[in-house]
Amino acid sequence: MQASLEQKYNFDIVRWFTIMAVVYLVLGAGFGVYIASELAWPFLNFDSPYLSFGRLRPLHTNTVIFAFGGCTLMATAFYSVQRTCGVRLWSDKLARFTFWGWNAVIVLAVLTLPLGLTQSKEYAELEWPIDILIAVVWLAFTFNFIMTIAIRKSSHIYVSNWFFLGMMIMIVYLHVVNSLAIPVGLFKSYSIFSGVQDAMIQWWWGHNAVGFYLTAGFLGIMYYFVPKQAGRPVYSYRLSVIHFWALMFGYVWLGAHHLQYTALPDWTGSLGAAISLAMIIPSWGGAVNGMMTLSGAWDRLRTDYVLRFLIMALAFYAMSTFEGPVMALKSVNALSHYTDWTIGHVHSGALGWVAGISIGAIYHLMTRLYHTEMFSERLINLHFWTATIGTVIYIVAMWVSGIMQGLMWRAYDEYGTLAYTFVESVDAMHPYYAMRAVGGGLFLFGAAVMLFNVLMTVRKSVVEGRLQQARALPAMA
Amino acid sequence: MNSLIEYFATDWEAMTVNDWIGTILTVVIFLLMILAYFQVFRPKNRESLESRKHIPFEDEDDAPSGDHDGRP
Repeated sequence: MQASLEQKYNFDIVRWFTIMAVVYLVLGAGFGVYIASELAWPFLNFDSPYLSFGRLRPLHTNTVIFAFGGCTLMATAFYSVQRTCGVRLWSDKLARFTFWGWNAVIVLAVLTLPLGLTQSKEYAELEWPIDILIAVVWLAFTFNFIMTIAIRKSSHIYVSNWFFLGMMIMIVYLHVVNSLAIPVGLFKSYSIFSGVQDAMIQWWWGHNAVGFYLTAGFLGIMYYFVPKQAGRPVYSYRLSVIHFWALMFGYVWLGAHHLQYTALPDWTGSLGAAISLAMIIPSWGGAVNGMMTLSGAWDRLRTDYVLRFLIMALAFYAMSTFEGPVMALKSVNALSHYTDWTIGHVHSGALGWVAGISIGAIYHLMTRLYHTEMFSERLINLHFWTATIGTVIYIVAMWVSGIMQGLMWRAYDEYGTLAYTFVESVDAMHPYYAMRAVGGGLFLFGAAVMLFNVLMTVRKSVVEGRLQQARALPAMA
Repeated sequence: MNSLIEYFATDWEAMTVNDWIGTILTVVIFLLMILAYFQVFRPKNRESLESRKHIPFEDEDDAPSGDHDGRP
């Protein structure tokens, strides 16, 4: 049975992306812990420009978002589209091109960012030749996905594929427009936008990278992998349809809430905040839909460690999609903006939601792709607790330090002058920066445990000959 | 009330082509969203929509034999 699946579907490409996703999770989290430690203990810069926070921070974000997140999305999208459409990928060659092309982008990012070669646009730092490569590879990924849906055997396109497809189309549009630039050399270019338009385009991209790449894409993962791991269909398919359309129609408006109290027209920020609040409804609808899939089988959480990751991720999704709209409100934004509260919010979404749902999906995939049990279930449990406790320590540290920062910056004395100097607020941050490094370190330890468990599972499959058997059986049958 | 009217006051003469495209698109998307809610929650469509939730389970079961599936 498993063997026929090996013949029917292209699992090789899924295996490659899955393993690389775990490798990039360890690397990306490692870079993150290092730069978090630099903020707490600045001597770690070692007076080297290549190790400075300004150069390593984009390396961290690019590694976790595009390397780890991208490989996870490509693995899960290629896997679930084949399984829900009942057909092999439309083109194996295009899939291989996507794998090597995407990894080439990551290698180029690792080489150029520490050298200071950057467009200085947040989450879009890579210079123009790499931007073109990203567009070509992403289009190849999208085209292969669309063509696989076009040749499907099922009459209906399952909702997880809608989310993946929505992400793919929007990211093409957002990436191309945001990256429009005039090259003045092989590694230097200038954005075609300037001033307030540049800021608006930057955050139109920035927030929609969150909305479509880090939310819609990972919701595609949720709608396939939560029901499969729970062994029961999603709680409400109708709610998933509303979740999809509300997300597609609503998310594109939100970017301006990153630019409250700037030169941007006031109404754009108000609109961004109002739609942000409205987005709580579909976001919570989706989170409840995922959690209620376990309705009648909650006891599974006691024993199924993979399911724990998936459901905990949904809890973080619900929390961060409530916190975000609250932070978009002008009165809250006046306190929170430019503080560490934003960093805490981002990481409750990134570590809790994105990494959590990815890790759950990857553990699920490993047993299917290598036709054997995980090397150690206890290590999955250890990973769950280190990841969860590490994330909580991280975000609590940033909440406390962020709110303290905001309050210190706007405190006045009886004469109407600032009560604290900026450096006093920096000094007050130190214990929380150390605490953040500890939380991140715990998360990194869990990721390293996962990499060990995954590699040992691959070894176990090879030693037991499971994969070879699965591939060979149909020929013998 | 007056302040509310002032808040929503619009200089229609000053509307550019871009403003009109944006306004019309906003209203069209709003109406499409209403239509989506109507179609999804119409009792007549319930059975056909909910039947699609089983698609991930129509494929062959692929859990490895003896697999604990994340459970000890």
